[in-house]
Amino acid sequence: MKQLILLTVNGEAYEVAVEPRMTLLDVLRDNLGLTGTKKACDLGNCGSCTVLLDSKPVVSCLLLAVDAQGRDILTIEGLAKNGQLHPLQQAFIDYSALQCGFCTPGMLLSAKALLDSNPEPTEDEVKEAISGNLCRCTGYGNIVEAILKVVRSKKGDEIR
Amino acid sequence: MKEYSVVGKPLTRVDGRVKVTGQAQYAGDITLPNMLYGKILRSPHPHAKIVNIDTSQAEALPGVKAVVTGRDTGGIRFGFVDTPRYPADEYPLAIDKVRYIGEEVAAVAAIDEITAAEALSLIEVDYEPMPAVFDPEEALKDGAPKVHEEIVPTTTCAWQDWGVARDARPYKVVNNICATVSISYGDSEQGFKESDYVREDRFIIPATSHTAMEPHVALANFDSSDKLNVWLSHMSYEVKRYWLAKTLGIPISKVRVHKAFIGGAFGGKINLFPYEFLAAFLSRKTGQPVRIVLSREEVFTSCRLSHRMIINVKTGVKSGGTIMAQEVNLINDPGAYRGSSPVVMFLAHSFCNPIYNIPNLKHKGIGVYTNKAICMPKRGHGSPQARFAIESQLDMIAEDLGIDPAEIRLKNVRKTGDVLPNGDRLDSCGLGMGIWRVVEATKWKQKRGKGNNQGIGMGLAAMFSGAAYYPFGSGAIVKLNADGTATLFTGQAEFGQGSDTAMSQIAAEVLGLTLADIVLVSADSELCPIDIGGFVSAGIFVSGEAVRRAAADARQQLLDNAAEALGAKIDDLDIANGRIYVKSNPEKTVSFSQIVRDSIQKHNGDSIIGKGFCKPVPEIEFYPSLSKGTGRFTDAYGFAIAVAEVEVDPETARVKVIRITIADDSGFSINPVNVQGQLESQAVMGMGDVLFEEIVTDEGRIINPSFADYKIPGVCDIAEFRHIPVDSIEPKGPFGGKEVGECSRAAVIAAIANAICNAIGARIYSLPITPEKILEALKNKGK
Repeated sequence: MKQLILLTVNGEAYEVAVEPRMTLLDVLRDNLGLTGTKKACDLGNCGSCTVLLDSKPVVSCLLLAVDAQGRDILTIEGLAKNGQLHPLQQAFIDYSALQCGFCTPGMLLSAKALLDSNPEPTEDEVKEAISGNLCRCTGYGNIVEAILKVVRSKKGDEIR
Repeated sequence: MKEYSVVGKPLTRVDGRVKVTGQAQYAGDITLPNMLYGKILRSPHPHAKIVNIDTSQAEALPGVKAVVTGRDTGGIRFGFVDTPRYPADEYPLAIDKVRYIGEEVAAVAAIDEITAAEALSLIEVDYEPMPAVFDPEEALKDGAPKVHEEIVPTTTCAWQDWGVARDARPYKVVNNICATVSISYGDSEQGFKESDYVREDRFIIPATSHTAMEPHVALANFDSSDKLNVWLSHMSYEVKRYWLAKTLGIPISKVRVHKAFIGGAFGGKINLFPYEFLAAFLSRKTGQPVRIVLSREEVFTSCRLSHRMIINVKTGVKSGGTIMAQEVNLINDPGAYRGSSPVVMFLAHSFCNPIYNIPNLKHKGIGVYTNKAICMPKRGHGSPQARFAIESQLDMIAEDLGIDPAEIRLKNVRKTGDVLPNGDRLDSCGLGMGIWRVVEATKWKQKRGKGNNQGIGMGLAAMFSGAAYYPFGSGAIVKLNADGTATLFTGQAEFGQGSDTAMSQIAAEVLGLTLADIVLVSADSELCPIDIGGFVSAGIFVSGEAVRRAAADARQQLLDNAAEALGAKIDDLDIANGRIYVKSNPEKTVSFSQIVRDSIQKHNGDSIIGKGFCKPVPEIEFYPSLSKGTGRFTDAYGFAIAVAEVEVDPETARVKVIRITIADDSGFSINPVNVQGQLESQAVMGMGDVLFEEIVTDEGRIINPSFADYKIPGVCDIAEFRHIPVDSIEPKGPFGGKEVGECSRAAVIAAIANAICNAIGARIYSLPITPEKILEALKNKGK
């Protein structure tokens, strides 16, 4: 039996009827049409479906939608504000930190969670923060570099 | 070198913004009205007769719209290889028996995924298990279980369809042999006699998975005009639509592959897959769109693997290290169907052919059916396997003779101008220069063999820049617009490699425009011309050259019009910043858009459309001989020289890769950042190949079909990466460009393997090089 739940996604309130077994990932993608969050393994192993739940990264394939009620959910669609890219998004473009793009939404949200809680992370802390996000294309080097560029630019350097 | 303004620049990707905002649509993100969800029932047996399939309960389940089995889909076969000699051997759904665990047996379409899954559980299949065979050397023996009976073609083969006037003939399977390759030149017996030192070694390479992050997806919709519209995870629409048309029995013009972004490929999304056929078949049956999204487990078990090989290498050298003769004998186990077996066994030779000058060579391969998952191309297709074996052995020979491994390579590498035994000429070859540079950059001589559990190793690899395979060429169209922009139509599909950006850069450069002035239409089979696809590293060299020619055609027409408007000679005109100017009088200019408008007004509405084509190896028709290795293969080779530095923990045998340096000869870099991205990608993928990756099976069942059990490199595994470009210009490539996307993986694998050996003083003959194998090798060394 479906039940009606209230989700707050990217600052918007959504009322959705879901079966209790449905994951947040499936509800985001199938019910809300927010397909920027990717389903790559559905087992919590790859990080492609990462969203922020009250500013903390979670793999949305392991979270039931009903358990996300009353929490602030941020997906990739909510990262840019008023058409203005988040500095991490801009840095991913500028420093070639993406290729096929499938892991990119999850990677960006893991990075955002890190910088929000720790604005000046070390390289090792950056790596730890995205260690749950798999990427098969880039070899990761440019991703780490892009995140560190944002860190440095926040410290007053130019971001390019 | 000529100064360019768009190509050769590290411009950011044209698809960057849609990808960082989550707007990029992959096939699985697209939902059509009234769409159904498809799921596939797979064999739980490695080898079994199908006695009966009862679908009645599944069909009766509310919400189920269709259930299909091999009885419905019929006997049309398909395959990666479909030649007169090797007719296609796969079916979209098993007909009489199943040959591996994961083989497609039935499919359903239902109103949602949960109903489709429930319907699968209601299908009753009565199997009669048969003896199975999993080891290729066992399968070769008399009396081994027969994976296939005679394979009788039910239709013309693909080669006939493409114009080869030879009929497909039945393929009689003897001792489970699915293909053979026998290539030879010179006299290897004599070569060994003339050698001062001969050694022979055996290497084993397991299957690995591509693990593109996007799982395989097909969305199919037969519309009211009986046109099949599909959105797929693919690397070329031509191959997909040819096989969809053929297996569905519809004209190829009735299949449209729409543009979708593709979430990584690595060779794993080339061929037609049963799930793609089934989405289309179910859509036709139900009259509704059908989407099939495979689970990660299905991707691991049914979406093809890299090729398993046992490679025996015998090499003879002079005491100074000059190679005199080599014999390679390989056994390939492509699994339950032929997959790309004859091709990979050919490529295991032809990708090695341009590296060392080997005067006497024999290369033999036998492909053997087993009851395991099917193998297909993966980044380098045969090169990683062959280079691991040959480069490992070359290091052992160097050590046996007391020669530095870099020296023995320098002594034997081919150089620019060399003509290969098959007739291919190396118009650009940076092997020698690359070795020099990488030796210098890595302080090779100081680091080599210093002990302390640290090691340094080298590996070389080469790769075609496209080859003659279906559809044998690429086209491109450039349409000039009255607002001063240009629209480029190319069939190249963007799966991460950066083709959308590179193709746009080439067009912009030729037309004197900026990257932002190019409106791109790519990878839509209805809108774009013929395209060879994004495999065998053909993208830049073939499709990029077609784009260059199309843009040059448009440019010529533009200048013809401008000459009239400016009263100047064409030779005296050039384009810069969107304006055409007279070189001898640069004050005289006219804007690009003005000329396009003039052309429309004065020339009967001619809006200037340029077209271009390019064929790899234009001199030859159809394919070289795969089995004999004769005929021209490609027009340009890419090369990579990799050096790896590692540290091995003496207690745990854990390997830490410290640094990977790649000197690559990929010709002129259309986009240097994306070239570096391809190399870094391969450095990390190659590390996974050496350290972790192996598809493990037990009685034919893949026991590690998830990212939890099949480890790929994560961010914490990566090494320092260094790229040393070898400045070369390939005369036949667009602006001098050639392949870059596949070559380095094999070089990195060989380099890391050799570095580990250098660190521990013992050789590991199989991949992956796990701590267990290292400890075992160290134990044996002490004996």
